[in-house]
Amino acid sequence: MDPILESPHDLDTLATRIRRHAVRMVAAHGLGYLGQALSAAEILATLYARVYRPRTDRIVISPGHYVIGAFAAAVETGLLDEAELATYGHDGSRLEAIGTERSPGLDLTGGSLGQGLSGAVGFALSDRMRGRTEARTVVLVSDGELEEGQVWEAAMFAAHHRLDNLVAVIDANNSQVDGPVTEVTTIEPIADKWRSFGWWAEDVDGHDTKALAAALAAAVAADRPAVVVARTSTTTGLDCLPASTDGHFIKLPAELAARAAAELESRLA
Amino acid sequence: MRKPPYPTVLKPYGTALLDLARADERIVCLSGDLTRQCEVDLFRDELPDRFVNVGMAEANMMGIAGALARAGHVPFVHTFGVFATRRPFDQIVNAIAYPNLPVRIVGFMPGISSPGGPSHQAIEDVALMRAVPNLTVVDAADATEIRQVVPAILDHPGPVYLRLKRGEIPVIFDDDYEFSLHRARRLRLGGDALLVANGMMLPAAIAAVDVLVAAGVDCGLVHAPVVKPFDAATVVDAASGVDAVVTAENHTVVGGLGSAVAEALAEAGAGCRLRRVGLRDTFAEGALSAHHLFQTYHLTTQSIVDAVWEASRRPDPVPVAPRSPAAAGEYSPV
Repeated sequence: MDPILESPHDLDTLATRIRRHAVRMVAAHGLGYLGQALSAAEILATLYARVYRPRTDRIVISPGHYVIGAFAAAVETGLLDEAELATYGHDGSRLEAIGTERSPGLDLTGGSLGQGLSGAVGFALSDRMRGRTEARTVVLVSDGELEEGQVWEAAMFAAHHRLDNLVAVIDANNSQVDGPVTEVTTIEPIADKWRSFGWWAEDVDGHDTKALAAALAAAVAADRPAVVVARTSTTTGLDCLPASTDGHFIKLPAELAARAAAELESRLA
Repeated sequence: MRKPPYPTVLKPYGTALLDLARADERIVCLSGDLTRQCEVDLFRDELPDRFVNVGMAEANMMGIAGALARAGHVPFVHTFGVFATRRPFDQIVNAIAYPNLPVRIVGFMPGISSPGGPSHQAIEDVALMRAVPNLTVVDAADATEIRQVVPAILDHPGPVYLRLKRGEIPVIFDDDYEFSLHRARRLRLGGDALLVANGMMLPAAIAAVDVLVAAGVDCGLVHAPVVKPFDAATVVDAASGVDAVVTAENHTVVGGLGSAVAEALAEAGAGCRLRRVGLRDTFAEGALSAHHLFQTYHLTTQSIVDAVWEASRRPDPVPVAPRSPAAAGEYSPV
C-alpha cells in the first residue's frame, strides 16, 4: 500500500488538531492568519503526515502567512515542541506571524509572495544534479500568489527540465487581501493553465483528505512536475465563525475564541 | 602598473570561473539567456552538468540560486548588471541576501558602457546592491583583478554582487597586484588632492593623476574595487591633509562609490571638499558608442581634472588632459 494513501495518522483528526493549535495561537492576539490554517488544515495534515519525509525531502511554504498551519502540523508530526506555539507572534519569538529564516518545521518560506516555487525548483534541481532520485520537494502555493509572474517563470522552468520530483499544492481558497481572488483577477482555469505549462495537474476538494491523499499519491508518481489544485475555504472547520468573516485576517475576540476552542474540542472528543 | 593604452584580453572572468569550477564541484553556473555575453559559454561547453540556462526569467533565477546555495552549491549567476539588480531586486533581498547565502551575482556591462540605451545601462546597480544588508559589492577594474576576485569570493560566507565590464578587458595591473576583499589600494600617495576610483573609471583616474602631477598638484590615488564593505580607514587616511577629494565611478553619483566616500569622510570628521564624478542623477541617451556617452555625461579624464581644480579652488587655468587614442585591441581612458 502506498504510504501516502495509508498511515497511522488519521488525517481528519490531524486537520482538526491543526485548527485547534491555530485557534489557540490566534486567540492570544485576538486576530491573525487563522483563515490560512483553516483552509489549509487538510492539505498540511496530508503533506506533513504522508508526503514530506524530513531529512530526505524538502518542504516549502511559499506564502509565509501560512506558517501558522505549518507550525501546527510540525508539532503534530514531532518536528516542533508544542510549548513553543505559545510564543507565536509575540515579541522575540522565532515563530513570527509571517515566516522568516528562523521559522522551524520547514525548509523555506517567505513573506514576499510568489517566490517559493522558484526555491522549490532550486531544491529539486539540486537533487537532480546530485542524483538524489528518491528525494521529493513539496511546495505549498496559494491561489492569490498565481497573480505574480514569477510563479509562471518557475512553472515553465520546472516543466522544461521535467523536474518530476517536484510536487506543488495550491490552496485555492479564493481569498486575498482585497477580497475574493475572483473579484481581483481571473486566475481560472487554474489546473488547465498548469497542464498547458507541461505539468501534471488535478483539481480536488481540499478539505477531503481521501481525495487529497489520492491526488498527492498520483502527483508523486507522475513523470513530470505535478500540482494538486485544492479547493478550500478560509472558514471551513469552524462553524462558529460569523458569515461576515474576512478570511485573510480573522478577528477572534475572546468570546469567539472560546466558542471556537469548544467546537474543536467537541469534535476531537 | 602599466601605462595606457592598455592591452586587452577576452573572457578573463569566464576563464577564471572555469578554472575554479574544474577543481570545485560545489560551483554551479546559472545564465539568464546571456551566456556568451557573460563569458560563461566556456563553462557551459566544458561543464554542462553544472550549467543551467534559466532563460529570460531573472526573478526565478535568483530564487533557484538561493535554494541551490541552501543545498550546498555555490551558484554564480550571470546576466547584464541592469537585469541582475533592477528586475529581481525583491528576489535578491528575500531569496539570497536576507538568508545570507553564498550566491555570486555577476552583472556585466556596467554603467554607461552599453550603447543599448537606458534600458540596458546599469547606472544604479551598485546603489541598489549596496543598500541591501549582507551583500558585498565589487566593481572590478581590469583582467588581473578579475582573475583574483573570482577565487577571492568563492568561500565568502555571504552573497556578492560582482560588476564586470563586458568584452575587451584592459590589463592595467601587473601580476604582482593583490586584490583584497577588505582593503582598498593606495596606488599613489599625494598631499594636495586625492582621487578614489574603481571599475571602468580607474584608467581615467590614473590618467588624471598624471595630468595633475604635471600641473604641480601632488595628487594621491586610491583604487576601491570593494564598495561594500567599504574600507573607510584607507580612504580617510589617504585624504588626511588634502584640499580636495574626487571620486570617479561609472554609475550615478547617488548611492555608489562617491556616496561611500562621502559617508566615510563625514563620519571621520574629515573637512576636505568632495566632488563626485559620475552620472549626475540622469539617464544617458543618444549613443552608438560608450565612448560618446562617457564624454557627453562627463565621465572622462578631463572631468576628473576639472573636479579637482574646482574643488581645490585653484586660480590658474585647468590643465587639459591629452587624448589617448586606442588602436584595435587596446583600451584607453576616455
